[in-house]
Parts: sequence; C-alpha cells; structure tokens
Amino acid sequence: MLILTRKLGEQIVIGGDILITRVEIKGSQVRIGIDAPGHLGVYRQEILEKIQSENVRSAEVIAPDLAEAAFLLSSKGPRGNEP
Amino acid sequence: MKIETTRFGALEVDEKKIIDMPYGMLGFQEIKRFVMFPHREDSPFYWYQSVDDPSLAFVVTSPFLVLPEYQVDLKDALKKMAWEDHGSETPFELYVVVNIPKGSPEKMTANLIGPILINIRNSQAVQLVLADSPYSHRFPLLKQN
Repeated sequence: MLILTRKLGEQIVIGGDILITRVEIKGSQVRIGIDAPGHLGVYRQEILEKIQSENVRSAEVIAPDLAEAAFLLSSKGPRGNEP
Repeated sequence: MKIETTRFGALEVDEKKIIDMPYGMLGFQEIKRFVMFPHREDSPFYWYQSVDDPSLAFVVTSPFLVLPEYQVDLKDALKKMAWEDHGSETPFELYVVVNIPKGSPEKMTANLIGPILINIRNSQAVQLVLADSPYSHRFPLLKQN
C-alpha cells in the first residue's frame, strides 16, 4: 500500500480526475474530502461490505426455504400490512 | 435465446427481457446480465438469475410490499447511469435483495440499503448504495408476533 504524508489542505490526485483532500483531524478522526467523477461510487467500506454480504447470502437461498417463506408471507401477511 | 441455469435447467428467454447491469451486483461486479422471473404465481418473490453464470441467482421482492412508505433518492443513480429523469412518468422499478437463513424461513429479511433499480425503457439496472438512509440491511419481512 502506498502511504503518503499530507499537511492540512494538501491533496492527492489519483488517475487525473480523483482528488483527495485532507480536511481536518480531530482526535482519532480524520475528515477527508473526495472529488470523483459521478460514475465512480465513493462509499464507506462498511456499507459496501453489508450490501455485498447480503448479496452473497441471497445467492445461497435454497428452493425449499423460499417456498416456505412464500407460504409464511401469504398466510401470516407481510410486515407492510400491519394495522 | 437459451440460457443454462443450475436451479431451473435450460430456460428459453426473450432477449428483450435481459437486464443489463453495467456495474453488476456488489460482490459480483463481473456478472452483467440477468433475467427476472416470478418465483411462483402466488409468491411475492422473484428470482434474479444471471444469464452468464448458471449457478448465480438472487431472490428479490418489492420493497413496497413490506414498507409501503419506502423511498429512495434516485439522483445519484440517474447521474451514474446517465439516465434521463422523466419526472413523474417514471420508467423505473425497484426491488430489494432477500435473505432466507437456511432452515429458518421465518427469519427472512430484505436489504433495504442496496435496492436494485431497473430502467424498463432501456432494460438497464443498477444496485444502489443508500449510505445515509434510515433503512436496515436486514429488515424482517414477517410480522413480528
């Protein structure tokens, strides 16, 4: 991993159109500004991790469980229909 | 065209029904083409089957079934996909990824922070990342008694 030292306000450029700015340091937290083209998603890693892991789990659903889940929803009603 | 699937065998699919995901699903970015079909006639679920990987299929459902007031800001997605905003005449459909823990279907949940947005005009889709949303990634689908 490339590790760079930056003073407040100094920037890093990646690939010509991604600009990273050190905005603020407060105790154990660093605030970072990121300018990137709109098609590049910039996300907190833990959010991506959650969505990814839900995708992986969904791809492992087995047919008998799905059939039972559909039955449960139609007999007990989905949460959206709560009075 | 004919596609091979592990779960359903060989399927005949109308090419116009193929959904193109330029960025794939998160964690499966290299897989770009999918088809969606109902699980069963009386089921609220759909299979979201990969066209190119026979073994890959996700389970999805409508978020509005479980959370009628579910709302998503489409601004970033429209920009990312370079889709036009058609205002109220919306050509979009939203689905959420469903999880059913093995052997515990009553614990089924939906991921409300990573919905799939489908543009039915151009048959493209994108999985959104709702970073600052109030929603859960494991929203229980069944009424909790």
